[in-house]
Amino acid sequence: MAKNDLQGTLDLLVLKTLAQMGALHGYGIVLHIQHASEELLRVEEGSLYPALHRMEQSGWIASHWAYTLTNRKAKYYKLTPQGRHQLRRAEESFDQLVKGVRTVLRYA
Amino acid sequence: MSRAMSIARRMANLLHRSRIDRDIDAELQTHIALRTEDNLAAGMSPEQARRDALVRFGNRTATKERVTATDAALLISTIGSDTRYALRQLIKNPGFALAAILSLALGIAATVSVFSVIYGVLLHPFPYADVDRLANLSLSDPRGNIFDAEFTGQQFRELRNVHAFEGIATWDSRHLTVTGHDVPENAIAFFGIGETFSTLGVPPLLGRNLGPSDSPEGQEPLPVVMLHYRFWQRHFNGDPAVIGKTLELNHRLYTIVGVTRPHFTWGWGADVYLPEEATQGGGVVVRLRPGVSLAAADAELQPLLERFAHDRPHSFPPKFKVDIRSLTYETTRNMGGTLYLLFAAVAMLLAIGCSNVSILLLARGTARRHEFALRSAVGASSLRIVRQLLTESLLLAFTGTALGVLMAYQLLRLLVAWMPQGMFPPDVAIRINVPVLLFTAGVALLSSVFFGLVPALQMAKPEIGQVMQSSTNRTAGSVHGRRLHGTLVAAQIALTLVLLTAAGAAVHSFLHLLNVPLGYDPHNVVSVGIPLQENTYTTWEARVNYFEQLRASVATLPDVVSASIATNATPPHSGLEQRFQLRDKPSSSPEAQTARVHFVDPGYFSTLQVPLLQGRTWSVAEVARGASLVVVNQTLARRYYPNGDIVGHAIKLSTLQGASPNTLTAPGAGDWMQVIGVVGDSLNDGLDHPVRPAIFAPYSTLVWMGTQILIRTRVTPEPILHSIRKQLAMVSPDQQTYGIIADLETWIRNEPEWARGRLISALFAGFSIVALFLSGVGLYSVLSYSVAQRTNEFGIRMALGATRRHVLRVAMASAGVSVGTGIDVGLALSLGLNHVVSAWVGITTNHPLIVLSVSLLLLVVAGLACLVPARKALSIDPIAALRSE
Repeated sequence: MAKNDLQGTLDLLVLKTLAQMGALHGYGIVLHIQHASEELLRVEEGSLYPALHRMEQSGWIASHWAYTLTNRKAKYYKLTPQGRHQLRRAEESFDQLVKGVRTVLRYA
Repeated sequence: MSRAMSIARRMANLLHRSRIDRDIDAELQTHIALRTEDNLAAGMSPEQARRDALVRFGNRTATKERVTATDAALLISTIGSDTRYALRQLIKNPGFALAAILSLALGIAATVSVFSVIYGVLLHPFPYADVDRLANLSLSDPRGNIFDAEFTGQQFRELRNVHAFEGIATWDSRHLTVTGHDVPENAIAFFGIGETFSTLGVPPLLGRNLGPSDSPEGQEPLPVVMLHYRFWQRHFNGDPAVIGKTLELNHRLYTIVGVTRPHFTWGWGADVYLPEEATQGGGVVVRLRPGVSLAAADAELQPLLERFAHDRPHSFPPKFKVDIRSLTYETTRNMGGTLYLLFAAVAMLLAIGCSNVSILLLARGTARRHEFALRSAVGASSLRIVRQLLTESLLLAFTGTALGVLMAYQLLRLLVAWMPQGMFPPDVAIRINVPVLLFTAGVALLSSVFFGLVPALQMAKPEIGQVMQSSTNRTAGSVHGRRLHGTLVAAQIALTLVLLTAAGAAVHSFLHLLNVPLGYDPHNVVSVGIPLQENTYTTWEARVNYFEQLRASVATLPDVVSASIATNATPPHSGLEQRFQLRDKPSSSPEAQTARVHFVDPGYFSTLQVPLLQGRTWSVAEVARGASLVVVNQTLARRYYPNGDIVGHAIKLSTLQGASPNTLTAPGAGDWMQVIGVVGDSLNDGLDHPVRPAIFAPYSTLVWMGTQILIRTRVTPEPILHSIRKQLAMVSPDQQTYGIIADLETWIRNEPEWARGRLISALFAGFSIVALFLSGVGLYSVLSYSVAQRTNEFGIRMALGATRRHVLRVAMASAGVSVGTGIDVGLALSLGLNHVVSAWVGITTNHPLIVLSVSLLLLVVAGLACLVPARKALSIDPIAALRSE
């Protein structure tokens, strides 16, 4: 059974974002998820940074400091090969979750 | 692999804690700055833009803390800050901290020290190899008496061939004189065949053990000696080069071949060990073959010993059964009850201590729920709060345990000093028992951690919002929590009452012991034991004269008021219980007509200041010829001649005929003896028994292989003991004195009842005072916490018209129930256990007054504990209480 909780979903969102967009800083991730979900999802900053650090400790993402367009120093995150692998697993498990929930909802 | 890498990275992070902190800070700063820029671009005012960014972000410190918390290895450095926080919390509440630490420390100290004594004295007094296979060869008779079986040389050799035994150790003791010094010194010598030491299996400290080759069969044993550690320290100052030197005993030179280890207990206080076999009768300790039960050994031995008994009938009791018993049987019989009782007491104390810590932690934890809810709301994870509480509990537990261990060492020293003597081998090793120390510390740690975490575990349930919304910490506490507190308090009170009752009974009976009328004056009187060597002073006249010469020589000392010969007549345990007849009142049951028979000189009564009530005592000439004249005590006179006319009647002591070659009797000692006087009663059957009828005959009537001289001195006797020894040596250069010379006040203190009474009453009193204090503190903290909790409720009640008295009743109701239940259960336990307790320690005085007064005392303390919280409840201002919402 995969870990089908909200934390897992946040991880999935972050990993997917980094897979699609390459390197991004935390704020960029927030903006992208908001934008890509057509304003449906809004990531809490208070949850994002702990998640980023945890994933970095787990070796799924790597970080480096660089300058933004407006010349601010920011920490950029990108996916590692291990993270790519984790993304695949997380996607599968999320699909399972969605399928499961939907089945339950459609149960007559 | 990656896991290891990750851990390594975290460990590395640990070293760069401050850099990481800066990194996280910078990252979050950037985030806010970027958001602010976007807001500006969207047309907000700069101020608005920044505020919006901050609001969206929430509490930055909390976020940072949570980011940091993902670094598991950073835990270690958080512990530092947790500990500092916990310390600050404890210092802010010194009363709480002190009560909790003391509760733990006292419980641990008492349990550990008492168990250490139990372990040293009862469970493991004999440091021999495979001690569970060693057993004492004893006999029991149909009446249930237990005797040590005694054997002679040839019988030992037959015992050696018994299949059930792997080896035998034999013992027999004699007093020898260490000669060749200015004052002869007494040495308690233990004899045994060569196998003894190998059977015990204890290696020596120095040199070698005695062995079979030291006593070759059919030859004289070699002149070698093994020293006990204690004697080696005393006589040779622990000289390591003592092996090969010689020791002169009774003018014979012995070569020292070994020194025992310090806690070697073979012989209960032996000084030297010699390789001789007992000729008179010696006891045996056997090592059973593996797998052989005591019963099987009994069965195998029975026919052999019956044959021995057939050959020498007088050395075995009639209709005996072989009854081999474990080595610890005797110490357990002597001290078991006392020590297990004490252990029960300290276990209760430990329980009270732990429950007190639990109460304190629970009360405090619940009082702090609001604080935790707040911290949780601003972002502290529940893990973080649990860790915080755990740190506080552990800090308390460790401090309490450390203090407890220190106190345990002190208490152990006191216990050892106050143990009754002669009830267990004097050399037993009594030291802090490490497994028990760990166990008790573990119990203390677990209970404080568990109860410390209860509030945190409650917090971990996501009801933060509820706690927050219920606005304050001043609502009514949960029913469940209150029931737990109530139960703990009631249990404490019950245990305290049990302890108090036991302490009351113990103190009562000890006070009774202290106030027992002695009938003599023990102050500044010493008893000097005079042992004779074998084959000396073999005629009656010579021995009587010798004793008198010794006495007279001591009496010439200027500081000696009087000196008198008192064979086996040193109170408070004196005389031999013997049958007697009255010439004109033949007894209907001559078996039961017994009295304590003493052999003394005329000075005995004045030395002890026992008053002469009627008639006279002997003249010097009458004593010298062993005249058939006796003096009796008041108890005997009153019992048989209630009219006070015993003087002039005649008494016969039926067993006065010389029993053994070492006992010499005066001519005509078995005749009718005329009563010439009556003296006052003085104790002769111990402190806690009534005076037995007593008969005093001239010491010359029957002389043994030794006597005692009672000496009354003008000053405290200690400084002149050496002069006394010298005076004795002037009469005969080899005349040593027996053991430790002590004054009669010390004799009283060394009486088992006295020493046991002091130990039990002092410890129980101490323990119960501590228990009383602890339960008072427990009750106080539960009550004040519950009053504080319910301030709001009381405010509402008052606002709705409740009187102050009503509020007081509500506030005190739960406490009343706890205290009442506790006292009820405690009383039931005390009365129920009374039988058991009095059987153990011989405390029979469980006066209802004691039970009543300790219950009252407990109520008073409970009342005092309630006083402050009650005042607080009464002083609640309804307006303020409601407004604080």
